[in-house]
Amino acid sequence: MLISRLLRVLAVLFAVIMVAAWWMTRPQTIAATDLPDHQPDPAGGERVFWAGGCASCHASPVNGKRAKGDDKLLLGGGLELDTPYGVFRVPNISPHVDDGIGGWTSVDFVNAMQRGVSPDGRHYYPSFPYTSYARMPVEDVMDLKAFLDTLPPVSGRIEAHSLGFPWSVRRGIGAWKRRYLVEEPMTFGVSPTLVERGRLLVEGAGHCGECHTPRDRFGGMLRERWLAGAPNPEGKGRVPNITPGGENISEWSAADIAYYLESGFTPEFDTVGGSMVAVQENMAKLSAEDRAAIAAYLRALPVLD
Amino acid sequence: MSYLKTRSLIATVALTFTSPLIAGDDPLHERHELMEGVGDAAKPIGQMLKGEQDFDAAVVMTSLKTFDEAAAQFGELFPPGSETGEGTEAAPAIWEDRAGFDKALATWSDAVDAAIAANPQTVEETKTVAGPVFNACKGCHDDYRIEDE
Repeated sequence: MLISRLLRVLAVLFAVIMVAAWWMTRPQTIAATDLPDHQPDPAGGERVFWAGGCASCHASPVNGKRAKGDDKLLLGGGLELDTPYGVFRVPNISPHVDDGIGGWTSVDFVNAMQRGVSPDGRHYYPSFPYTSYARMPVEDVMDLKAFLDTLPPVSGRIEAHSLGFPWSVRRGIGAWKRRYLVEEPMTFGVSPTLVERGRLLVEGAGHCGECHTPRDRFGGMLRERWLAGAPNPEGKGRVPNITPGGENISEWSAADIAYYLESGFTPEFDTVGGSMVAVQENMAKLSAEDRAAIAAYLRALPVLD
Repeated sequence: MSYLKTRSLIATVALTFTSPLIAGDDPLHERHELMEGVGDAAKPIGQMLKGEQDFDAAVVMTSLKTFDEAAAQFGELFPPGSETGEGTEAAPAIWEDRAGFDKALATWSDAVDAAIAANPQTVEETKTVAGPVFNACKGCHDDYRIEDE
């Protein structure tokens, strides 16, 4: 009698917890009516495209190698990211109506980029770095969609990710987001104009922290170690510390950083290597002012060892 | 006579007749030193382009000549058997795609020849001719060099 009552209470409690968990992990989106009154500008979107390096992941590999030149504009996806969580497969984001994102509205795109939610209301995995893009001005995101719409449609859908448990439970990303999807700036409240411009590029579209910042065991960024270097997510070696305390970069001037991003040459006249090659090539397409802003921001960071 | 001895004899004879400049038999070390020299020569040009050093046409020409000499020797320093060791950053692609590597090297060599012929006398002129030279460095490193740790 007592036991059956206890069981009933437990069952109710369990149901309440499940409903609460379901509620807590629900995908949260913004409504079309919340978007600012902004006429999307494809030219502005192109700047965001190169700052963000969208092509580095989404351009379809050519004969197993990364795309170069105009092939960077064919965003059919297909690159595989082999990570400790499993294999992520980069989707088609070309403006193909069926296979890409050609059918998406502006608010669909903003929700994907800044909330990590698909048009059919599911969570995206943070291998798609929306935790960074959440810090972008929403107008920039709308401009980016307008630019993507000018690119050639590419047919072909990409297979789903292959992840191990518990990462395979997509709903769990809702709980992850509650802790790690933070729009507040990483380091600065009010800053000089140039540094603030750099902040938006580095923390937002450029998503530099996704590789240069170490993560905890749930894959969330350690904010107190912002840009202080991390294990290479693609395997061996480390992604360098790019705060003024970084081993290699501490001797560099802001002009050296800007020149590196423009030309690919370090102050010692070695050339950029590894994953940074594609990033540098994208940064080279930005304006000199944008590169100077990125350099100013990096020089203004807290010095971390 | 062992295979290795035969090969080194052939290599020695070949080098004696074709390229007396590289008489040594440690290609890994030689190509590393050669590239270090290229980097050192590139530095003053870069600093002039960045405005960190006063422009000096003679220094630019000296660097270009260094590139020219290096480009003439570099291709021969990747014989079969020198794929690994001494912390080399040479990528397997050099041996898997020798024609592509030679082409990338020729791109650099041609850009250097053009720069020497142009004999740049101002920062602007230097920037114009050095661009293709530096891009060739980068292009070849991108495909034929692996990242050190």
